[in-house]
Amino acid sequence: MCHTPIWVTHLFLLVQREEKQLEASLDALLSQVADLKNSLGSFIYKLENEYDRLTWPSVLDSFALLSGQLNTLNKVLKHEKTPLFRNQVIIPLVLSPDRDEDLMRQTEGRVPVFSHEVVPDHLRTKPDPEVEEQEKQLTTDAARIGADVAQKQIQSLNKMCSNLLEKISKEERESESGGLRPNKQTFNPADTNALVAAVAFGKGLSNWRPSGSSGPGQPGQPGAGTILAGASGLQQVQMAQAGQTGKMPSGIKTNIKSASMHPYQR
Amino acid sequence: MEAPPVTMMPVTGGTINMMEYLLQGSVLDHSLESLIHRLRGLCDNMEPETFLDHEMVFLLKGQQASPFVLRARRSMDRGGAPWHLRYLGQPEMGDKNRHALVRNCVDIATSENLTDFLMEMGFRMDHEFVAKGHLFRKGIMKIMVYKIFRILVPGNTDSTEALSLSYLVELSVVAPAGQDMVSDDMRNFAEQLKPLVHLEKIDPKRLM
Repeated sequence: MCHTPIWVTHLFLLVQREEKQLEASLDALLSQVADLKNSLGSFIYKLENEYDRLTWPSVLDSFALLSGQLNTLNKVLKHEKTPLFRNQVIIPLVLSPDRDEDLMRQTEGRVPVFSHEVVPDHLRTKPDPEVEEQEKQLTTDAARIGADVAQKQIQSLNKMCSNLLEKISKEERESESGGLRPNKQTFNPADTNALVAAVAFGKGLSNWRPSGSSGPGQPGQPGAGTILAGASGLQQVQMAQAGQTGKMPSGIKTNIKSASMHPYQR
Repeated sequence: MEAPPVTMMPVTGGTINMMEYLLQGSVLDHSLESLIHRLRGLCDNMEPETFLDHEMVFLLKGQQASPFVLRARRSMDRGGAPWHLRYLGQPEMGDKNRHALVRNCVDIATSENLTDFLMEMGFRMDHEFVAKGHLFRKGIMKIMVYKIFRILVPGNTDSTEALSLSYLVELSVVAPAGQDMVSDDMRNFAEQLKPLVHLEKIDPKRLM
């Protein structure tokens, strides 16, 4: 039986568990970063080699892919099982200007030497001085305007975005159904009937007589009939005249009929 | 004097009886351009053909109640073209499945003394008009878009006045009797002109 107290064993187990967690999360992080690196590489290749054939949707696709991968990376980092990497410290133990084959293999040929030139770049934890300056500026601005002003700004931005989205979707919908415009008449059914009647039996054209008129060509008014301009007012005048002299044509009717009888019909 | 419905008669010889299948509609003046564009796209590819015709309708009144009607048509813009004499029978109604108006049709090309000949035969002119418009063709289908002008002084084709603010649109096929599938083709073509123009079979007797 060991003389180590219980709390020492518990501590030891805790540390082991943490180490396992750290390793697991490091592996996950590594795979995510590798995916990100691959998609970045393919995007760069696309930009460099296919720039003349590149279309905006294709560029958007690449950006969307990168954005998605960054999102999953963030999720992995925020995962509860991930220990805070902030608490880990990496200290370079040996720096040498000699070529390190192992390192070359691990970094796919990108870092041949673990020397004092490489270390500050690769092991840095702080961002660039300009970036750090900008971030500090932004944080002071955000702190300056106060919480409720910030909230109001957020709300107005959200509202504007939703308005814009609504407008766009409405335009899209309307342009599709814009084909049917019921208020623009392209034909008039009354006109159709008038034209068909004109072609079929001369309704509305000159020499139009009301159906049931007596004999071909009233002898009393040949002039009135032909000068008729087809206006309804004049037609009524003609009919009134026919009514007045109604007695006369009936007498002449039989004569006209016998005259118009075709000789060859006998 | 009217011939019996031709589709019921056996073909015993002589000339084949031709039937005219007809669909009519109209289009307002301001929509004419769009209709012409659509027809140019749908119809056979040819130079847009315009026509200016003067049509005179002659009646021969006999003992029967209904007179015999003949239509004489001459071209006013094409010199030297023959005159066109046409007989159109009564439309055969009753068949609801037939989508077009069908009537017996006889077309004859004549020389220029047609009117004198008809007057000598006893015909009298009933009415006349001037038709001005466009002509399109698609296979055996003929599409005419024309405006009807009333002649103010009889015999004088210069003094004319438009009858309405619309153009008459006619889709017609002249085919031997019995070919009713022609009306199906016509209806399909008419579908493509909607909603600009509604081509339908209009019974002229309803409009008397």
